[in-house]
Amino acid sequence: MKLIKKQIPLAIVFVTGVLTLVSYYVPHKISVDYVETLNKWENIVVAFAFLLGLISLFFSHYNKISRTADGWGYSIFVFIGFLAMVIPSYLSHGKQMTDAGLTPLGWSYKFIYTSLSGTMFAVLAFYIVSTAYRSFRIKSLQAFVLFVAAFILILGKVPLGQIIWSYVLGWTGAGVDQVIEWIMQVPAVAGKRGIMIGISIGAIVTSLKIIFGIEKQYMGKD
Amino acid sequence: MLKETLQKFFKIDRRWIFLLLAVTLFVPIMKPIGLPNKTISPATKRVYEYLEKLPAGSFVLFSLDYDPSTRPELHPMATALVRHAFSRNLRVGVVTYIAGSTGLIEELFAKVSREYNKKDGQDYVIFPYQPNILAVLTQMSSDLYGIYTKDRNSTPVSGMPVLKGVKSYKDMSLVVCITGTAILDYWVAYVGDKYSVPVAGGVTAISQPGYGPYLQTNQLKGLIGGMKGAAEYESLIKQPGKGTSGIDALNLAHLLVLALILTSNIILLYIKYF
Repeated sequence: MKLIKKQIPLAIVFVTGVLTLVSYYVPHKISVDYVETLNKWENIVVAFAFLLGLISLFFSHYNKISRTADGWGYSIFVFIGFLAMVIPSYLSHGKQMTDAGLTPLGWSYKFIYTSLSGTMFAVLAFYIVSTAYRSFRIKSLQAFVLFVAAFILILGKVPLGQIIWSYVLGWTGAGVDQVIEWIMQVPAVAGKRGIMIGISIGAIVTSLKIIFGIEKQYMGKD
Repeated sequence: MLKETLQKFFKIDRRWIFLLLAVTLFVPIMKPIGLPNKTISPATKRVYEYLEKLPAGSFVLFSLDYDPSTRPELHPMATALVRHAFSRNLRVGVVTYIAGSTGLIEELFAKVSREYNKKDGQDYVIFPYQPNILAVLTQMSSDLYGIYTKDRNSTPVSGMPVLKGVKSYKDMSLVVCITGTAILDYWVAYVGDKYSVPVAGGVTAISQPGYGPYLQTNQLKGLIGGMKGAAEYESLIKQPGKGTSGIDALNLAHLLVLALILTSNIILLYIKYF
């Protein structure tokens, strides 16, 4: 049992991991063919994962509705939304536009999906502005530096702000675009580069731990 | 007395702020201020100049990976870039790894291809959505047709005039990824760096600072950031569009944010020290 549940999966991960890693650096036909085969397998697995996700989503929301759990009414919209896109998609054979104009799928996309998605994202702007008023407190030197950088960037990103800058601070000789460029190219890049290096090292270490069987959480508890 | 009033103002119902923002955005949308965008960032200019230098007939691959949520920022820059490519008579291929972007791509090409009298299959090709980006990016390095056998209308792509001589990345002059996700990072790491393919990008304003390191090392040939970037590109190709009108509406909204932050901090200081 241990062989099937532990040792064989670990061996598969080790062999696949090492071969894929080596293929990245070896531009030989065998390694290219191997990667191509793996890509095809991966696409098939992803398709099944999609299906699994969909079934799991449906069961989860169906259970919520049948138990009339808190917020069960919202779960109905999962099914309405799904059918509102899938039925037109089926009727339109997946095409959104023909020479005659919008198909039913194109209509659903434009007047349901686009509107809902745009609205959801637009609501964020209201919360960001409200949060900026209620939470952006300059209580330390670090907060002050952050405020100055944010102030310049917000101001300099619109023409009206550029005009205000040139009226108020034009005498300094530094254009707001030059100051923004400096902020983006020096402190912002320095910070981002540090974060990127940290994340990359973390990802490499985790990958090696998985390949060599040190990290086994993906196999579950059994 | 004043302190109490200020404290009340400090804890104002956020719905008032929502209303203020709605009015601030509504006014310039209805009656544009019309202020010209005077500055053009070097990163945007680099994309323009790179595209400008490509000889006519070069193949440019667009990876348009954004859905309606980021449409206001990204669709104008995609439109401007495709217009620029068509005006330079470049061949255009389009891929996407975001399911929600397919309708926007259809809309874009239905409009822009008519403006330049470009034909599907001859001057441009739109590949279907693929869910597994890393597998597709790797596959395209050896054989594009191994993963994309048909276009989004199920027409076989093999033999299409637009794809003549194009088999893998080495036959592409530029990849442009426009996205509000981390897909641009994948293009840089898995394609640009590994196969020496020039990659340029277009991203939302909020994610723009994160790509600074790639620009400095020339891993990105250029970057268009947010609505301002879109407006800049539109002014470079001398075709004002939604980016230019959008940046106009943002004028007052940006100033409102600054005014609110300043006001809350001045109130805080007054309450604390007076």
